[in-house]
Amino acid sequence: MTSPLPTQLLDSDLAVVTRGLTKRYGELTAVRDLALQVPAGAVYLLVGPNGAGKSTTIKVLLDLVRADAGTAEVLGVNVRDDGPTVRANIGYVPERTDWGYGWMRVGRLLEHHARYFPTWDAEYAGRLARIFELRPERRMGKLSKGQARRVHLLMALAHRPPLLVLDEPTDGLDPLMRDETRGVLAEHLSETPTTVLMSTHHVEEVERLADHIGVMRGGELRAQMTIAELQGGLRRYRVDVPDGWQGVPTLNGAVLRRIAAAREVQWTVWGAEADISMQFSRAGATVRDVAPLSLLDATLALLNPKVEDRA
Amino acid sequence: MLITIDPTDVRPIYVQIMDEVRRALVLGTLAPEEPLPSVRQLAVELRVNPNTVAQAYRELEREGVVHVRRGQGTYATKTRRNGTERRTLARAVATRALREAHRNGLSADELIEAIRAAAHHHHDEVSS
Repeated sequence: MTSPLPTQLLDSDLAVVTRGLTKRYGELTAVRDLALQVPAGAVYLLVGPNGAGKSTTIKVLLDLVRADAGTAEVLGVNVRDDGPTVRANIGYVPERTDWGYGWMRVGRLLEHHARYFPTWDAEYAGRLARIFELRPERRMGKLSKGQARRVHLLMALAHRPPLLVLDEPTDGLDPLMRDETRGVLAEHLSETPTTVLMSTHHVEEVERLADHIGVMRGGELRAQMTIAELQGGLRRYRVDVPDGWQGVPTLNGAVLRRIAAAREVQWTVWGAEADISMQFSRAGATVRDVAPLSLLDATLALLNPKVEDRA
Repeated sequence: MLITIDPTDVRPIYVQIMDEVRRALVLGTLAPEEPLPSVRQLAVELRVNPNTVAQAYRELEREGVVHVRRGQGTYATKTRRNGTERRTLARAVATRALREAHRNGLSADELIEAIRAAAHHHHDEVSS
């Protein structure tokens, strides 16, 4: 299926941009010809199933992993030219927080971390430590997944970097801490001019904080646009059709999902609502209902197009 | 004034915030010249992007529902437009009901008739 979905943003001021980015692990191509565009000041949600290539992309941006082809620029710097500068400007929460420093106490790790960042805001760090209920005397290696995640969130936020890169930031957090984290991020965005690149496979947890979305699967970017564009351009149509109906050939390519049962057909279609509705009526169908999709349903339709007949 | 948003509602968040402010004005829980919560305060409360709150306030300002006092915040505007707000609110409710009716294969006339009958019944129940 040729996808009519947008993958190019119009913004010229990009905080993160990759061109033709490709990363292979042996036989496996983890990321393929990726053109990621994160506008400055955006809160960009990178969504996709496990193994989509989200974490690999993020590691390339931090120059923790080297791409096989293509380039990656972060805040105007090619990451291969100056990895340390790039990392100094990023607040990073890694997907896995169980590596290294297991012997170190939380308080000692925070002190150690603070020294690397001249912009470290000690007062803010203290406030975050209270919100996240961190105990400085605990050893990193003894923390639960959620506790370790909170330590990393604090380390990412407290130097108020121009770019936050959060790889599954709410993973492992209990519902209460997930809610606190959303509040902390909303406050952080209100106080600090920041660009955020956040990967997640739980769209519904962080969607209200985001304004841009990139949908990845199999190492490729299926779509990239503002969330307003996605929610404005995708609709679910319930359509009554006459017997022996031939369908709407002009819609080919724009249809992401079609489920048919007897004379009722449900379509998920990308395009302007008035135009699509007109094409349905011209083809002899009656549009019974047009509804926008939740962001979760929209991403599922993008990730997993399905056209099936249940007659 | 309490602003709540419904995550299962398909209206965009900024529209939900705008409708909530209108609702508060109609109900009187937000009076003219009273301040709205700051962008930051509401963003943290609702766990939304502050730009979304700012967008809602900007649209409300464009519609003359609120006004910004530089360096002080956003305030409900004293208007003679309470009637207008009521109509806007009623129209939004009607549009949602109409969509639901259409989905169920009902015409607008059938819906209107049913609303009259239901209102009558409701009125009888309340007064008895």
